[in-house]
Parts: sequence; C-alpha cells; structure tokens
Amino acid sequence: MQDDKGSKGYHDVGGDPAGEIPKVELPWLHWEKQVEAIRGLLGDGTRRIVSLDEVRRGFESFGIDKYNSLSFYRRRLEAMTDILIEKGIVTQAELDSAIKAGTTRWSDLDETP
Amino acid sequence: MPHDHEHGEHEALIIEDEAGNIDAQIVVDALQQVLIAKGLLTAHEVTAAIAKLESPGLHLGAKIIAKAWTDPEYKERLLADGRAAVQELDIPVTEARIIVVENTAQVHNLITCTLCSCYPRSILGQPPSWYISKAYRARSVREPRRVLEEFGLDLPHDMKLVVHDSNADMRYLVLPEPPLDFEIRAASDLEAMISRDHLIGVARDVA
Amino acid sequence: MTRFAVGDRVQVLALRKEGHVRIPYYVRNHAGCVTEYCGTYLNPEDLAVGKTSGPAVDLYRVAFVQRLLWPDDVIPAQDTLVIEIYDHWLTPAQDTDHAP
Repeated sequence: MQDDKGSKGYHDVGGDPAGEIPKVELPWLHWEKQVEAIRGLLGDGTRRIVSLDEVRRGFESFGIDKYNSLSFYRRRLEAMTDILIEKGIVTQAELDSAIKAGTTRWSDLDETP
Repeated sequence: MPHDHEHGEHEALIIEDEAGNIDAQIVVDALQQVLIAKGLLTAHEVTAAIAKLESPGLHLGAKIIAKAWTDPEYKERLLADGRAAVQELDIPVTEARIIVVENTAQVHNLITCTLCSCYPRSILGQPPSWYISKAYRARSVREPRRVLEEFGLDLPHDMKLVVHDSNADMRYLVLPEPPLDFEIRAASDLEAMISRDHLIGVARDVA
Repeated sequence: MTRFAVGDRVQVLALRKEGHVRIPYYVRNHAGCVTEYCGTYLNPEDLAVGKTSGPAVDLYRVAFVQRLLWPDDVIPAQDTLVIEIYDHWLTPAQDTDHAP
C-alpha cells in the first residue's frame, strides 16, 4: 500500500522509465578536473566552505529544465557557484566581472593570427 | 550557450560542444581567480589537487582484486573492512568506508548510485560516463538483468542478483570471481585481466 | 546501543522532508531486512544546509526483495537490492510476511 511518499526530486530517478544506456566513454577535460579540484579544496578540513552535500542540494534545486540541460560537471560548477553566492563568499558581480575579462582574453587569442 | 544533446526515446548524455567547453573553462577560471583574490585557495593548490584526482584509476582497483585472489587472508580483511585493506596497499582512500562485495557461483553484484554518481573515486578515479547517465541510474535498480544484457552479460535465472545503491556514505567495489587458472598466473597478468566493468558489476567473467 | 540489529525487519518511512534527502523515492514505505550496521555519520540533510555540528546518526544497510519493490515486473524471487538508510527514516516493520 503506497501512501503519499512526499515529493520526488527530478534527480531521484531510480525506477523511472528510461531508454538505452549510452555507452560512450567521454574524456575527462581539464575544466572538469578543475571544478572537482576546487570543490574538494573548498570542502577540505582547513576550509569547510562548500561541502559535497551542499553541492548536491544546489543541483537538486536548479529546477528540472536547468538540471536536464547541463552536463554533469557543468551542473557541479553551477551548483558550487550558486552555493558560494548564497553564502556570500563570492558575489555574482565579482564573478561576472572575472568572466567578462576571461572572455575578452579568449577573443584576443582567437584574433591572433 | 549551445551544446549538443539528443531528445527522444533514448535520452543521451548531455555533452558539451566546443563552445560549451570553452565557456565552462572561462567560468571555472573566473571562479578560481575570484577565490584566489579572496585568499581562499592558491593556484598551486588547485594544480596539486588536479594531479591527485588524476592519479587513481583502474590499475589500483585491479591491484586490490588480484591481491585478494592470491592472498586469502588479505581477502578476508578486504571483505571485513575495505578501506583499511585498501590502505594497506598504500592506496589513499578519502571515502568514509569501502564495502567490497564478493561475487560467487550463486551471487552476482551490481553497483549503482541512483541519486547522483557516487563511486569509489579515490581508488578508481572518475566513473564512466554511462554510470552517470539517467538511463543507467534509473534502470539499474528496477531492471538490472536487462541492463546487464545490454552490457553482454546474461545471468542465469537461478543466480541471485544483488544491486547496491550507494546513496549515502558507503562506496562499493565488486570482487569478481577469479579466473579458473588464477593460481598459476603472475599478479601482473591477473591485474591486466580485470576491467572497470568487473568492478562495477556489468561484467562477470574474468578470462 | 543501536535501535536496530542485523536481521531486524524494518520499514522505510515516507518522511515528507523538503530539501536534500538521500533516501530515494522508490524505497519509501517498503519493508526490508537490516544486513549491516555502518556506524554513525553526519546527516546529509543537515550538511546540505551548512549545519555541520551534528548530531551524527546511525546508518544501516537494508536489503529489499526486488519482486516486492517492483510488483508489476517479472523478477526472479531471489534478487535483492541493498541500500543505506539513516536511522530516522526507519521504523520496525509491522508485517511479517515479506522475507528477503
């Protein structure tokens, strides 16, 4: 007998219908390792700024569309950023400014013959 | 930012395209820069942490399994306290506990994490992309035998299949049955025969 | 002294907890059997919102009969699923006719 079991998160997929398992082997890219490295450092014994549990809460709170549209490591990056902003460790403005500067550097590289 | 993904009945993995990867690199670099400016970490620490993330892999898992096959007392210690036994081999383990589940002639084990992607990363490195896929996470608990068939493994109907969902603090490794001639093989030969699929449980026979 | 011992029949509660929980939907309300006591761990429901001071909670591994988890599917009777459940999500099982 199944009573109301509470809400089911979109990440909570055990038993859901699904298709064939995609047996790709994706390379692990540098930015992805960097995301994991930063998360690990921020959660380590000397810092304890962002835990893996908080990152999980982060991507479980994205909303289904954002969750379904991001790659696994991008979800981790976005979730970690959300938590850092939530906790006031960084601000969206600081991040945007650094991103803008970074984008300019990439474009400059592109234009170099 | 644009990226490739497929919809339809086979929900594929979301894979970043080149623009998506460049965008992500810019964002993580920006985040790192902001964090460094605040004195929360250093570039050197990030480089060192990346090197540590890159060092574990299948070779460590294979070493553990081959030793368990050839040293019965080690195997007992491994089954009793996986983390301690793995650390005996100078393999650093960051997970709280490692549980090693043994395949036998009557039992086959399969590991999954339905909620995210929990995996013994400090031993084996990053999980394969398919392990993280929605399809594997959704189906591995409900129709594991069909999942195994997709990996080319047909379990006998009377064999017991145990699925382990690593949803909390434990992490799992499957100890496959050794090949029939394991006693006459060198450790390095045995290690070469072990695949990541064996350790997750989507492959069974080591030959 | 833990609330449950290996071999105890337990039922997973359907706690209507908002926020981050690690007990999947598919196992809630089902009865199973404790196979292992894992020790005490900080509660991820608290850790997810930055509460790191505890208390730590008991964690158990609980085995379920697959046939009972997925009653509409055709599954060999002996197949099981084992998952980790925190103490506050468990209650002693009422019924006694589902043995893994």
